[in-house]
Amino acid sequence: MLPLSLLKAAQDNPMLVELKNGETYNGHLVSCDNWMNIQLKEVICTSRDGDRFWKMPECFIRGSMIKYLRIPDEVIDKVKEEAFKPRGPRPGGGPRRGGGGGRGGASRGRGGRPRGGGGGHKK
Amino acid sequence: MAASAPPDKKRRETLLSAELGKYLDKRIRVKFQGGRETSGILKGYDQLLNLVLDGAIEYLQDPKDQFKLTDETRSLGLVVCRGTAVVLICPADTMEPIANPFLQQEPS
Repeated sequence: MLPLSLLKAAQDNPMLVELKNGETYNGHLVSCDNWMNIQLKEVICTSRDGDRFWKMPECFIRGSMIKYLRIPDEVIDKVKEEAFKPRGPRPGGGPRRGGGGGRGGASRGRGGRPRGGGGGHKK
Repeated sequence: MAASAPPDKKRRETLLSAELGKYLDKRIRVKFQGGRETSGILKGYDQLLNLVLDGAIEYLQDPKDQFKLTDETRSLGLVVCRGTAVVLICPADTMEPIANPFLQQEPS
């Protein structure tokens, strides 16, 4: 299980995010990207010393400033479910959708000759 | 490496443009690495999170504690914010100080 997969599965869940500067943000995860940049809604910000609080309906946090995120335990079950769905493993199952294969496209010719344009049945 | 860059970049742009596009011409609050905070009207941005703020105001830090802000402000005017230093963005007028909300919920 990858950290970012867990985070993606945690969308719409409440979570606590602590930043490197010590501030914490409690809110529901709206979305995240590959940089761990996240969008939260219904956020409560707690100051570094823990005695001042602010409310904001939404905010955007830069991934590189995150120290850690606490997410609900249930999310881990959701990740396991999603891991069984066929689109999970990336390394072998790349060229599944469409004819050309996902990343790079046919014109790039990065992994040798384009293989399995149609189905990609390797077994 | 070059082959994997475009999809990543695209994904980042989708999050950013969804997030920041709606703030255009609205006043946003920006926190920076090191503790500085400003607010200003968002005039533009790019995928690196560089921002153009108009009518920017800086909320000055307490000289004794860089993580505390004072009530003092200073006017900055039109500024370009360096994306790598940006930590947090939220709409400015919606941020309000509240009493401890965790006391009644989970007495610990």
